[in-house]
Amino acid sequence: MIKESSSPNSGSSGNSGNGTELKIVKNATCTFCGCVCDDIELHADDVRIHKAVKACVLGKAWFLNHTAERKYPDALIDGKEATVDEAIEAAAYHLYKADMPLVYGMSNTTCEAQKECVALADQLGGLLDSHTSL
Amino acid sequence: MKITGGKVYDPANGINGEVRDLHIVDGKFADNANGATGGREIDATGMIVFPGGVDVHTHVAGGSINFARAMTPEDHRRTQAFIRTQSRRSGLGGMAPTTFATGYLYAGMGFTTVNEAAVPALSARHTHEELSDIPIVDKSSCVLMANNEIMLDLMERGEYDRARDIVAWYVWAAKSYGVKAVNPGGVAAWKYGHDAKGMSTAIPGYNKLTPGDVVTQLARIIDDLGLPHPIHLHCNNLGAPGNVATTLETMKHLEGSRAHIAHMQYHAYGGDDWSTMRSESAQLADYFNAHPNMTTDAGAVLFGDTVTITADGPWQHLLYKLTGRKWGNLDVENETGCGIVPYTYKPSNLVNAVQWAVGLELLLLINDPWRVFLSTDHPNGACFWRYPEIIHLLMSNDFRQACMKKLTPAIKGKITLPEITREYTLYEIATIMSAGPARALGLRQKGNLGVGCDADVVIYEEDKDIERMFGHPRYVLKGGQVVIEEGDIRETPEGREFITRPSYNPDTEAFLKPIFEDCYTMSFENYPVEMERIEHPTMMDCVDVD
Amino acid sequence: MYWGGNPAECHPRHFTKYTLMQKSKFLPRGRKDRTMALVDIRATKSAKAADIFLQVRPGKDFEMITILRAMVKGESIPESQIAETGLSLETLEDLVARMKAAKFGAIFFGMGLSMTRGKHMNSAALLTLAAEMNAFTKFVAMPMRGHGNVTGADVIMRWQTGYPFGISFNRGYPRYNPGEFSTVDVLVRGDCDAAFIIGADPGATMPQPAIDHLAAIPTICLDPHVTHTSKLAKVHITTAPAGIAAPGTGYRMDEIPLPLKPALNSPYPSDEEVVRRINQAIAKMPDWMPEGEPPMVLSQV
Repeated sequence: MIKESSSPNSGSSGNSGNGTELKIVKNATCTFCGCVCDDIELHADDVRIHKAVKACVLGKAWFLNHTAERKYPDALIDGKEATVDEAIEAAAYHLYKADMPLVYGMSNTTCEAQKECVALADQLGGLLDSHTSL
Repeated sequence: MKITGGKVYDPANGINGEVRDLHIVDGKFADNANGATGGREIDATGMIVFPGGVDVHTHVAGGSINFARAMTPEDHRRTQAFIRTQSRRSGLGGMAPTTFATGYLYAGMGFTTVNEAAVPALSARHTHEELSDIPIVDKSSCVLMANNEIMLDLMERGEYDRARDIVAWYVWAAKSYGVKAVNPGGVAAWKYGHDAKGMSTAIPGYNKLTPGDVVTQLARIIDDLGLPHPIHLHCNNLGAPGNVATTLETMKHLEGSRAHIAHMQYHAYGGDDWSTMRSESAQLADYFNAHPNMTTDAGAVLFGDTVTITADGPWQHLLYKLTGRKWGNLDVENETGCGIVPYTYKPSNLVNAVQWAVGLELLLLINDPWRVFLSTDHPNGACFWRYPEIIHLLMSNDFRQACMKKLTPAIKGKITLPEITREYTLYEIATIMSAGPARALGLRQKGNLGVGCDADVVIYEEDKDIERMFGHPRYVLKGGQVVIEEGDIRETPEGREFITRPSYNPDTEAFLKPIFEDCYTMSFENYPVEMERIEHPTMMDCVDVD
Repeated sequence: MYWGGNPAECHPRHFTKYTLMQKSKFLPRGRKDRTMALVDIRATKSAKAADIFLQVRPGKDFEMITILRAMVKGESIPESQIAETGLSLETLEDLVARMKAAKFGAIFFGMGLSMTRGKHMNSAALLTLAAEMNAFTKFVAMPMRGHGNVTGADVIMRWQTGYPFGISFNRGYPRYNPGEFSTVDVLVRGDCDAAFIIGADPGATMPQPAIDHLAAIPTICLDPHVTHTSKLAKVHITTAPAGIAAPGTGYRMDEIPLPLKPALNSPYPSDEEVVRRINQAIAKMPDWMPEGEPPMVLSQV
């Protein structure tokens, strides 16, 4: 796993205008579209990103609409709240039991997760596919 | 661990077929005087023991081979498939094997170290990701520099010291081990559809800088920096009839420097056009034999299907026009380029027949096996897993003569192979596939069965069928661990990556940043590959070069 | 040249960062030294940025590309065939002349080309046009990839399996057959009996029969939000959004990898961590391969 960079660019601080210190991440990378611009400056507090300097209208919406709030349950099984541990066990059970499981998607995620997805399909003897096939 | 009773071929220590025991402690060879080493004992009585193979020039990871994989699904479905087991990922062999299969195939043939010969710095992060997915073998890589426009601009202005600092910066930014030069100036010119064929003609887009200047200065820079591996040079004018003149001129530009000439086979042709193309390997070998500053690898060709991939973009466009087959082109901003064309070498084709002969001629006419190494420029001349076929050709004149019967009759008088009777010994084979390339790479712990070196060993059953013997070793040990045994993959440990950190003037980044920001699409701060992305990095010190 | 794409609205910084505006050694005046042509079925916002806009009749891209390939080689085309594209001979001749006069041409094609009538045949034709243009001047072509890191998925699947998508491991090694192993086909036919969905929301975007099948089988969904797919899934796990609260790597559309630098700490685990743990949980179960040593090598060349 790639650890968050401890370069001198991350972790410096700025000002949000209302007095609270904001963390500034320089040369952040936007993964909203295929341009993957890596010159974005993010100003964030613990919960949300307040400013995404240099980002386009799509990138701004992407950065500002995600928060670190706990908006959703950790996991759902049959629509009922569950712990991540329970959900992982259930996921493993159903995928293992299937004769022809499908692993699909992998667009809005990291390469590190994508590698795990390929390993998952390999281990399951299943199908593996991305958005590209649409 | 102990390997007993085998006939040992260890050219690095002058051991030529003597029966010796090898002792291994903590993944390295140990002195048997230290007494019992414990662990497993392999009885190698009657078998042949070599140091693990070292491939000095191959293309196994990164944007270009991965583009080739995408372009050749028709090959994947007819080739060797590695079925997944609980301890091992699935994979596909063939012309452009998947990363996992690359590790299995190299190890399965007794090779334990490979040098990825062409890495664009801009996508070095990608190359390292793939290298870390190649199991078993240890890896090094060479970053592409000879068409980096920032460096070329500095050379044009005569700012040698700055150019040297920039090269050092790129080597470290790419987390590379050495420097590769491909068609100096020609790939930069290809951005506008041109090439650079004359060593003394200014590169298109430059007023006075010539490919010859780039070769001389880059070789000197690499010596000044003390990189363990010298300039790794793919000469201008690859593949073209009559290009021996360019190659000889290039070599003259290298006098006084160390150099490794990559895949010399592609640079040893006479003639004026495709119909008059002939071998000039004798002329080239004569010059090379007299100039000990250089090493080379064969870049041998074998008949059959493969996919050609090279940073030499203009050459690949020509190959596409000649063959009408699929063509992929990747321009890498202001750094380098890449072209991909599937290709079939046929004995009935005069050009291909000449190429096949030239690869073997160079291996046979260069008299010092410490300076010429086994390679096919994988996958360009043939896939690396066909090396046993080349070993067979080198060890048996009868086999060579039999193969020559299949060549087009037009070959008569165009090659010297029919007159060469030399046959390689096992000791010489161990030199060109292991000890020699390890020394040329500056990897002292490789290709050497001496105390303290990495315990990478390949053990063969003696066999009259040379291809079977070299293609199917009885045991392969990597770092003292049995990875191949009786035709099966036993373990798939992660390999290491060798990297170097040449020093550069501390103001280099401040100098480079504004230039970089003017011409790159990536942020300067995001460009260098982070150390934590390198799987098991092993730092190799720079050396003093006289 | 942009073909069947609308970068002004879908890749807003493509013009400024990569194609039109940058000043360079050989094009010192930036935009003034460049020509942009747009081919699309309607005048999108991107048409405003273009020097010339060619409105192709819907579904006639393949015909237009084929005509261009012929014209580039100096062949004459019957008027009726040109008329089919909705464009005039003069317009096409002007385009061909500009393409040949360029020092370096680049074609970026979008889903308006690759996902409409003709699909991959359109892409193949356009790539061939770009290749053939190199007989006259330097020309390249590449797709405008969308969806964040879809390029990363392509690249990784290629190096680990040899294929970019549409893969089956059901014989223990990778095989490739779009149409047979591609998701919409698999779901509509009802071929799969479980689904693992990550970084996508097919429940919102796929044809209804595909969605119905996802609802009928155990579907596992990983997403930073509870999505349409989560709602029909057997299991949903909330994960940290990539690049915002989860670190790692993302590939640009030209296959250049970039480090992701999250600004937030998520209360949720990353996709990477969750999929790894699912892999570890499955690895504890008996292997699906039959008992005994499987053959290492299935076939020889």
